[in-house]
Amino acid sequence: MQTPEIFWTVILWMIGWGVLGAVLLRRRYLARDLDTSNVPFAGAMAGAALGPVGVGLLWLRTPALSARLTTALALLAVVLIAAAFSFADPENNCVANGAFRASQITNGIIIGIIYGFMALGLTLIFSILGVVSFAHGEFYMIGGMLVYYITVVWFPDAGPLMGVLGACFIAFCIGAVFERAMLTPMYTGKIDRPVEYGILATFGLAFTLQYFVQAMHGASPVKVQRFVDFPRLRFPDGTETAWVTTSRGNLTLFETVSISNPRFVAAVTCILVLLALLYLLHRTWTGKALRAVSQDREAAAIAGIDPNRMNMLAFALGGMIAALAGALLVQAFSWLPQVGAIPAMRSFVIVVLGGLGSLPGAFVGGIMVGLVEAAGTGCIPDAQKAASYIPAYGMIVLTLTLLLRPTGLFGRRFSSGMHGQGG
Amino acid sequence: MRQVPNIAGLGLVLFFAAFPLVYTGGNYDYVMHVLITGFFYAILASSWSMLAGYAGQFSFGHMAFMGIGAYGAALFSHYFYLTSAPTGTCTEVAFFGNWLVIKNAIGVTSTTLTQDCLQQAIAGWGDSVQVWRMPVLLGIVLGTVAGGLAGLLVGLLVLRLRAAYLALFTLGFSEIIKAVISAEIDITRGQAGMVLPALFDNGVVILGTEFSRTDKIPPYYAMFFLLLLCLLILTWLARSRFGLFVRALREDADAAAALGVNTTRYKVFVFTITTAMAASAGAVQAHYIQIVTPNMLFLLQMSLVVAMAVIGGVENFVAAALGAIFLQIMLELMRTSFSIGGVAVDMTVWRLVFFGVLLMVVLRFFRNGLIAPLIDYFARAGMAEETIAKRAAGAGETQP
Repeated sequence: MQTPEIFWTVILWMIGWGVLGAVLLRRRYLARDLDTSNVPFAGAMAGAALGPVGVGLLWLRTPALSARLTTALALLAVVLIAAAFSFADPENNCVANGAFRASQITNGIIIGIIYGFMALGLTLIFSILGVVSFAHGEFYMIGGMLVYYITVVWFPDAGPLMGVLGACFIAFCIGAVFERAMLTPMYTGKIDRPVEYGILATFGLAFTLQYFVQAMHGASPVKVQRFVDFPRLRFPDGTETAWVTTSRGNLTLFETVSISNPRFVAAVTCILVLLALLYLLHRTWTGKALRAVSQDREAAAIAGIDPNRMNMLAFALGGMIAALAGALLVQAFSWLPQVGAIPAMRSFVIVVLGGLGSLPGAFVGGIMVGLVEAAGTGCIPDAQKAASYIPAYGMIVLTLTLLLRPTGLFGRRFSSGMHGQGG
Repeated sequence: MRQVPNIAGLGLVLFFAAFPLVYTGGNYDYVMHVLITGFFYAILASSWSMLAGYAGQFSFGHMAFMGIGAYGAALFSHYFYLTSAPTGTCTEVAFFGNWLVIKNAIGVTSTTLTQDCLQQAIAGWGDSVQVWRMPVLLGIVLGTVAGGLAGLLVGLLVLRLRAAYLALFTLGFSEIIKAVISAEIDITRGQAGMVLPALFDNGVVILGTEFSRTDKIPPYYAMFFLLLLCLLILTWLARSRFGLFVRALREDADAAAALGVNTTRYKVFVFTITTAMAASAGAVQAHYIQIVTPNMLFLLQMSLVVAMAVIGGVENFVAAALGAIFLQIMLELMRTSFSIGGVAVDMTVWRLVFFGVLLMVVLRFFRNGLIAPLIDYFARAGMAEETIAKRAAGAGETQP
């Protein structure tokens, strides 16, 4: 970085006014007897984006903090950080090189879609059972492992589609059996603190699954051939700069942004499955029953829905979603029994950011975390450090969310049905 | 009957206190090492059970605080020295006639440790200047304080959160600590790890017997007494008003707050104390094994602590400590691999699978763990729980 002073001065200025805004404005809104649930976040963003002007204006006017206002302020703050960075470090690759920036953003969105999809499973489980599944990363891991075993070891003739479907099926069964065997005492009120029990039980499942796979498979990494090859294509043909060019393993947009085949396939499949899932949740009886249980267990039971069956379905579906994400990404990364830890952490960050129990929140949060990570890895001058700090970027987002808006971006104020209240 | 747990506890303490002196079997050093590690895990498991079982705060960042303690001690002993003359190149301050030297951070370099400013100064001085390491005990104390401070800060930040958020945040916190330690290679030497002096680097004389730095008996007693100290503090806490408040918090935070318990303050307090305990265990363990690496913060370690506490009995810290010691011994016994009918079974991994299954079974069917109900059974002396509760309501609080 050429002039780190500029950057850090701006950051300190923003933090200073942000803290001041969050604290002062909360008092102000309290004193005026207004709704304060949004105030810390909006105040911090106003302070960060506009400094004393923003805090002062909010202080004087105390407007109703609509989502639009808050979002605008937050965007302004992000733009300010980016501007400060580009002034401080004009020769950095992610400032000077537009093509690099475009490909970072695209790849950030693509990986964010996959993260978001995985987090969706976690949030589905939470919204219905009120449990954060700590085994989510292990479902992701066995998804990939099963694809490897099915398509390479057990049935070498089976196509990748069979592998993915088989992995999903087995993960679904594991989820269902685990839920029946371990989580049922949570619903009957036999356990004092069901939330903690759920955390520990899934923690135990994660531990067991991970070492079971390690014991069965060993610690050698595996990788699967990519599922489909792109056809060789150039569109529009004959022009100087093609919009889309594909080779078998790669897809290039505008001759600048390059997306690898496995990631592209994974992201597209995730979107398709997401649409299917939305259809399931909003158009079928089962999906409506699931959403009903997540809103009010007892009312759903009165309406003839068996909440226990929905619990099982939700846990199995959530596990299956994680396994599907793993099954799609096993063609992009090499696979180890420990591979689940990092995506699990991502999912945790994403669900808290999006609001525990909120499905659209999980998806938007996933894309945001993907972008933050892409910016972090692309822009931090020391590449090795940047890579080591990947887990930390999401955590910074998580900390800010918890401090400023504990319900997350789309959180319901009282998330989840009966179990979410505990603890 | 009612005294059985106390008598058994006293017997166990005496047994462990006398064990290194009377044990004459094979693999002496190995057995001692297993027990020391068992005590280390016992401190972590009992302090975690205080936090999770008594106060109801399920933190998955306990190992991160252990790591802060260990790295605090390691950084202190690695960068701080006393010399009798100024080096001229290092950062240094006068210190009662000597000089407190802070070495420059050079990270992992090709010529390893000879390039820092102090080593260069020593090469120039010859033998004319004395250089002292900082006392190990001071490093341990500083590591403990660092862990406690970090616990205080994190506690202030997160203890307003509900269970699920707290678990997620603390897990993420431990990931951050691991990332920072792995990434800041200049300072922490990253995956290469940092070497520390032994617990008693120049040997030690106890009761006329001289022990060298590699002897296992001094670190055994150091860890053992640290465990006893932690258990004493925890017992005192649990029996005081503080323990009552903390359990009230666990049962119903809103009701406790309504009755005038400052809930956040007590949560932060218990968080700080237990994290400081974890940090002290980490600092002593770091000096005992003489190296710290980021790998000690793997989630496996946290899982072990959680599993030990749960299997022992998460709502009773003595049971958690016992569970940790016994499980550590059991895990070591199960290390031997064998083969059935030509199929090699690699027990180094399968024992962990077994451990995970045991954790789930205990959670599902023995909610209070395996050891805590035994203690309770004898403490109740065959009476029904309701009777005990009624008497206790009349005559103040009794502890099982």
